[in-house]
Amino acid sequence: MKSVLRGALLGAVVGLALGAGPALADTVKVGVIAPFSGPFATVGKTFKEAIEVYQAQNGKTVGGHTVQFVYKDLDQANPAQSKALAQELVVKEKVGYLAGFFFTPDALAVAPLIDEANIPAVIFNAATSAITEKSPLYVRTSFTLWQATVPLAEHVYKTGVRKVVTAVSDYGPGIDGETAFKTTFEKAGGQVVDSIRMPLKSADFAPFMQRIKDSGAEAVYAFLPAGPTTLGFAKAFNDNGLREKGIKFVGPGDITQEPDLLALGDAALGITTTFHYSAAHDSAMNKAFIAKHKELFGSSDTVTFTSAGAYDGTHLIYKMVEATDGKRDGAKAVEAVKNLAWESPRGPLKLDPASRHVTQNMYLRVVEKVDGQLVNKEIETFPNQPDYGFKGK
Amino acid sequence: MTAVATNKDTGKPAGKGAPGRLGRAVRDHAGVPVMAALGLLGFWLFPEDLGLMTRILATALYVLSLDLVLGYCGIATLGQAAMFGTGAYAAGIAAVHLVSDPLVLLAVGGVAGGLIALVTGALILHAHGLTLLMLTIAVVQIVQEVANKARDWTGGSDGLSGIDPSPVLGLFRFDLYGRTSYLFALAVLLVMFLVARRIVRSPFGLACRGVKEDPLRVQALGGSPRRYLVGMYAIAGVFAGVAGALTAVSTGIVGLDSVSFTWSAEALVMLVLGGTGRLYGAVIGTVAFMAIHHILAASDPFHWMLFIGLFLMGVVLFLPGGIASLGERLSGLLSRSPSRTAEGDRP
Repeated sequence: MKSVLRGALLGAVVGLALGAGPALADTVKVGVIAPFSGPFATVGKTFKEAIEVYQAQNGKTVGGHTVQFVYKDLDQANPAQSKALAQELVVKEKVGYLAGFFFTPDALAVAPLIDEANIPAVIFNAATSAITEKSPLYVRTSFTLWQATVPLAEHVYKTGVRKVVTAVSDYGPGIDGETAFKTTFEKAGGQVVDSIRMPLKSADFAPFMQRIKDSGAEAVYAFLPAGPTTLGFAKAFNDNGLREKGIKFVGPGDITQEPDLLALGDAALGITTTFHYSAAHDSAMNKAFIAKHKELFGSSDTVTFTSAGAYDGTHLIYKMVEATDGKRDGAKAVEAVKNLAWESPRGPLKLDPASRHVTQNMYLRVVEKVDGQLVNKEIETFPNQPDYGFKGK
Repeated sequence: MTAVATNKDTGKPAGKGAPGRLGRAVRDHAGVPVMAALGLLGFWLFPEDLGLMTRILATALYVLSLDLVLGYCGIATLGQAAMFGTGAYAAGIAAVHLVSDPLVLLAVGGVAGGLIALVTGALILHAHGLTLLMLTIAVVQIVQEVANKARDWTGGSDGLSGIDPSPVLGLFRFDLYGRTSYLFALAVLLVMFLVARRIVRSPFGLACRGVKEDPLRVQALGGSPRRYLVGMYAIAGVFAGVAGALTAVSTGIVGLDSVSFTWSAEALVMLVLGGTGRLYGAVIGTVAFMAIHHILAASDPFHWMLFIGLFLMGVVLFLPGGIASLGERLSGLLSRSPSRTAEGDRP
């Protein structure tokens, strides 16, 4: 009696709230948690656009199951809110997959939840190596700082540079980059003469430039959060005459991500980075991706590495839906894809079964002006780079 | 001078009207049971939203702690998150390395929050107004930077994960649907609310309110205003620490956002929305803000911020005393004494 009443009440409330009948039985829902408002809103936008491009190219159904995406806004790194949103997506929206996650803590927060609910979480970005160790149901299609930095350090050594200074923002990813660079470069025989850690919120970089000058280094490895911080650093680098002095500026590719290039302007020219995706990547598949993006959204200026992460993540979700025939079985779904190899707009990809992270090509790029527009021009390929930071359980 | 005048003003109506006293008695005895009933009703009506509702309850406790300092002592602060975050991190670190009993973790969080408030309060509460405001911001920034630097303990910007509390009282496991967390948070909030009410009505609480109204007079009577302020600041720190620990226990992770300036400011917004100087205001403000935030963000994840801004402007323009003052305004209109709307002595 009580349960009938309760059911009726619930039904009334839910019915009123949604104004709709029961969901189609044959729809697989995917919950996307990402920043869609606030300072990082462009990230969520690139996720959403890449998903829509994928759906436009490959259809909204796979194996007879419609794949539907539900978006939840998480405007800044806030693990408690991430967990609450994921809980809501799982319990209320009955999603079969979680996806998105720009910041590492937000991705880490859902580990106990996905284990208990047995649903996979496809990470489109969050780049700390250790995340995938926390649950067997994490799959990641982005990159890690180790993955981008190790080939870069080897390359810098090969160009004849022996003394490097590292300058990173003082937070998790920055420290990751610093450690990866130092370890690799010193193993090769080079010397890291100074390791500078800059406060995350610093806006004045002149003192750090002086330290870089004084260190007598031939190159600087820098990592800062993309956007205004990188902009300030690059400008200070030029204004303080470090470029004139012939000091090389290298780093992982998020410091010259495509949406920022316009703001960086000519200050960015010559910055050498390694990364897994450049919108200027020369392949038929990337051209098709860019063309479709332009067709749907009118411009492809915002296409960047987060777009590639979301596009390939969507591909994995489609494969998992197909393998489980639309049923909710996370362990089986991850099992089905964890040896998967496929072609992506960024080149060939393969999941590593131990880390469930993509093994991929890293490209050496230089910021150049092509037809009056700044691009990350790829000049060399380091094939099949695994996540060097993964230590296993 | 003006402070004395207000004192006289508010002194009058309290003794005047029987309806006022009756209303207060009703609020006193019915308030907490009504809150409990509403909480349980929410549990029964929205079994699928317990994750969010647990967060609302923990946040309400946090905003309540801000009310103790701002509403009852007049300490303008934008640093309450320092206490919240310290409590959360202390509980989180204890959970990872030492104990897993949720009640013990709450106690750890409370003690940590209280201690940091006591130490920083003793250092900064000699200042007033804007200077004090700046100092509280400095405190929260320092605590955040310490948490960021102490990576081995706090996980830095990756967050402190791996908090796995044991079942409450050894009986109720924290489940996927969040039933245990919700009921646990509700019980904690109600108990702490009663404690807070007891404190603000104790001679100590009244003395704090005296300091808020007129510190000179308190001093003339032989009291030490600063000692009262530091005391209440520390007590509020305990409340904020417990709220932080409650969040850590129910979500299993602590991030740097829990010691951020933004989180301090958000508490202030919720408190002003609900109404300062009223314990109910803190709870009402939190529930209203977070529920509306949630509904707007769910219906339009891309532009909801605009609408929440409009909503806040509306409240500030038309209900300057906060949502909690709505009832008083209405009863004030009914009893035809509209000037008595914002008394200072609301519980």
